[in-house]
Amino acid sequence: MVALTDPAPGARRAAAPPSRLARARRLHLWLALLMIAVALTSLTVGATGVQLWDVARSLARGEELSRMERVVLFDIRLPRLVLGLAVGAALAVSGAVMQGLFRNPLADPGIVGVSAGAGLGAILAIVLGGLLPPALLGLAGGHLVPLAAFLGGWASTLLLYRVATRRGHTSVATMLLAGIALAALAGAVSGVLVYMADDNQLRDLTFWGLGSLAGASWGKLAAALPIMLIAIAGAGLIGRGLNALALGEATAAHIGIPVQRMKRLAILCVAGATGAAVAVSGGIGFVGIVVPHLLRLGSGPDHRALLINSALLGAALLVVADMISRVVVAPAELPIGIVTAVLGAPVFLWILLRQRGVVDL
Amino acid sequence: MRRRAFHTLALSTAATLVLGGLGAAVLPAEAARGEADTLSIGGSVTEIVYALGQEHRLLARDTTSTYPPEAEALPDVGYMRALSPEGVLSVGPDLILSEEGAGPPETLEVLEEAQIPFITVPGGLDAEGVAAKIRAVGAALGVPEKAEALAAEVTAEIAAASARAQGAAGAPKRVLFVLSAQGGRLMGAGENTGAAAIIALAGGVNALEGVEGYKPLSDEAATAAAPDVILMMDREGDHAASAEELFSLPALAVTPAAETGALIKMDGLKLLGFGPRTGAAVAELSAMLYGD
Amino acid sequence: MLQARNITVTLGRAEVLHDIAFDAAPGQLTAICGPNGSGKTTLLRAMTGDLPHDGRITLNGAGLETRAPWELAAIRGVLPQASALAFPFTVLEVVEIGLSRGRSGGDPEAAMQALARVDLDHYATRPYQALSGGEQQRAQLARVLAQVAAPVAEDGPRWLFLDEPVSALDIAHQLDVMQIARDFADAGGGVVAVMHDLNLTAMFADRVALLAGGHVLAAGPAAEVMTSETLSRAYGCRLRVGAAPPPGTPFLLPQAAARAAD
Repeated sequence: MVALTDPAPGARRAAAPPSRLARARRLHLWLALLMIAVALTSLTVGATGVQLWDVARSLARGEELSRMERVVLFDIRLPRLVLGLAVGAALAVSGAVMQGLFRNPLADPGIVGVSAGAGLGAILAIVLGGLLPPALLGLAGGHLVPLAAFLGGWASTLLLYRVATRRGHTSVATMLLAGIALAALAGAVSGVLVYMADDNQLRDLTFWGLGSLAGASWGKLAAALPIMLIAIAGAGLIGRGLNALALGEATAAHIGIPVQRMKRLAILCVAGATGAAVAVSGGIGFVGIVVPHLLRLGSGPDHRALLINSALLGAALLVVADMISRVVVAPAELPIGIVTAVLGAPVFLWILLRQRGVVDL
Repeated sequence: MRRRAFHTLALSTAATLVLGGLGAAVLPAEAARGEADTLSIGGSVTEIVYALGQEHRLLARDTTSTYPPEAEALPDVGYMRALSPEGVLSVGPDLILSEEGAGPPETLEVLEEAQIPFITVPGGLDAEGVAAKIRAVGAALGVPEKAEALAAEVTAEIAAASARAQGAAGAPKRVLFVLSAQGGRLMGAGENTGAAAIIALAGGVNALEGVEGYKPLSDEAATAAAPDVILMMDREGDHAASAEELFSLPALAVTPAAETGALIKMDGLKLLGFGPRTGAAVAELSAMLYGD
Repeated sequence: MLQARNITVTLGRAEVLHDIAFDAAPGQLTAICGPNGSGKTTLLRAMTGDLPHDGRITLNGAGLETRAPWELAAIRGVLPQASALAFPFTVLEVVEIGLSRGRSGGDPEAAMQALARVDLDHYATRPYQALSGGEQQRAQLARVLAQVAAPVAEDGPRWLFLDEPVSALDIAHQLDVMQIARDFADAGGGVVAVMHDLNLTAMFADRVALLAGGHVLAAGPAAEVMTSETLSRAYGCRLRVGAAPPPGTPFLLPQAAARAAD
């Protein structure tokens, strides 16, 4: 032992230093409290004067709620809140999983083709939905656009997975490249459809692309919530695997991670979570990329804690963004995609600027 | 870390409180609504309400309702195809009057759940359509006689203007409606558009045949359309174009319209709204096409 | 025992290894040597299950393909040539990632001990990416040591597969790391190492497999394989293997001589 950095033998500490993981796990509690606080506020804030506390008081006294109170609280704000929590968590967790899988902090849930496919599905439904036989339209029950978006996202992810998988090995690099090609193709087809679209359809396309939680309803939740919850829970299982993957695929396998199986699970979860989220809320950007990044800076990159923290912070953040979108131009509302981009883009730039000194990306 | 968590929590709580305050601040005053009980959605519907003298009934409007200028003082519940359910409920309407195509469906479902009468006013791109709209609005507001009178007046006005235009010298002229000429790229009106309908009423021929809806035009297609007159909406900003700029575009430079410098600009809602001002719009357009 | 028979590996369209046989025993340090492109790393990667190959490989009596990844991870650790790390983990966290599936469970003390073994315990909380190349290589070795825990367990020997473990190290740490491998073998574990440095190989290896052009040119005890003739053939240049004289015998190096006239 002649290395210059070697301290005197007596100074050597064999005890393990305090772990960042334990700290990151304590953050679960704080983020959960934050989420609850935000959720309660969200139930109280809105264009109408309905107050959560008034309603709670009336309920406690056993009084009948007015029709307005009932509709606003239970048909508008509550489904919207639940949808916001689920979509925020789904997008943030998907972002964290994709960044882990692609070993790149700039990866986005859209990277596996979900967004491109979902966008194409939505545009198809908006522009050509009217041409479907009425029986089929009836089957979709007025939810043709979200249904088409979900199927589109799912189909494009499966296609990319097929393209990138050979002899039981999925190349994430191939998947990334094929995803770019698929997005270009989807963009071209969308262009043709946009050309065919009439004025109203064009407006619908624009608003879909900007994203909104305004369409929340119990019916939509019944379809989308289970998919999102299962996908988020599934993603929670692969924290260890994603940690190992940070060392490279070969090393992850040496450590004992069934890499291929984990990749498949990760891609399925992201396709499910992001697909369902995009289907019910349109294009909401930046949550998936900013939330995990922010948490990694604050409490380290360990995915076992990062995935849970991402779900909590993503949920809280999206509900806050939704509150802003409902309040700033009330009684009208801003598409939430605008709010997340306005909030997210500067934060993202700030992160990049701060990091520039530390690591050259 | 613990301290940082505290900070985040404190910050977010503060933020949500501020938001809550904002929410409370923007709540519309419940008092002083008087007879006002109606939310009007769609520029032409709002115009009809005013034309029927029923503006005291209006509580709020949508973004497309910009005429008469007084309407803009009303709260705006957003774009008619992207209405927010709570935004609509917050203005407390007892009646919603809407042009065709309001949405999204989820919002309409909630409004139905809230048992607010929602009347969709039928439309159409001709005198009949305008009359039907006026009658529907009148019936909904309980002023059917007034509506009947206005419908008759507007129908007669349109008919008169049309008739005068058909007999004018030099008719029919080929008219190309240009929705926008942004960056030198023309967006023209094809068949089955409000623009085509109003051009026909005013005794013109829509120069862009064989195309449906509003479509981007290639330079050659614009040249081949050979319009005698270019019709545009009168507006500000990037979409505005001067005659000089417009006729220097290669697409339009060799058209008959460029030779005579024939560019007509009209108020968009008046021209394409198919409301009470449509008769005046037809008269104005045909006067500009063929002279009085 | 590690036994590989009829190993043929094709990368793209080129056959890189041709029908190779390779053996390694627990308690020994077996080196794989050979010139650049001879297939050393390819052979190692085939034996760690990273490359599809023809032929049969058994470790401790069972075929590689019959074991699940976590079962393999419990009996052997692999040190790759170079490792890029994707996220800003600390040195200690990197070592703990190795612990997550190995037999030693989540014992944080085990990670610190492994770091102390490679002389990096004072860097435990530093970001891995801030370490020099040689330090990163040692941190990776600590991860592997933490994963396999002990050279021998109830169910048999454990194995270390090292791909050029000393390539980025200064001479003191080269000796340290080779000694760690030597100790592991002496305690009953098996070590297979791809080596470039023939002197260190001669000093530490029990057995050597010499590869050239995708074939095994020679395999056996180090002293038998590392002859002037065999090495010259393998590396395609004339090499002379020397031997230090017995202790106590004075000797002269001709490079150190100078003519009196100068």
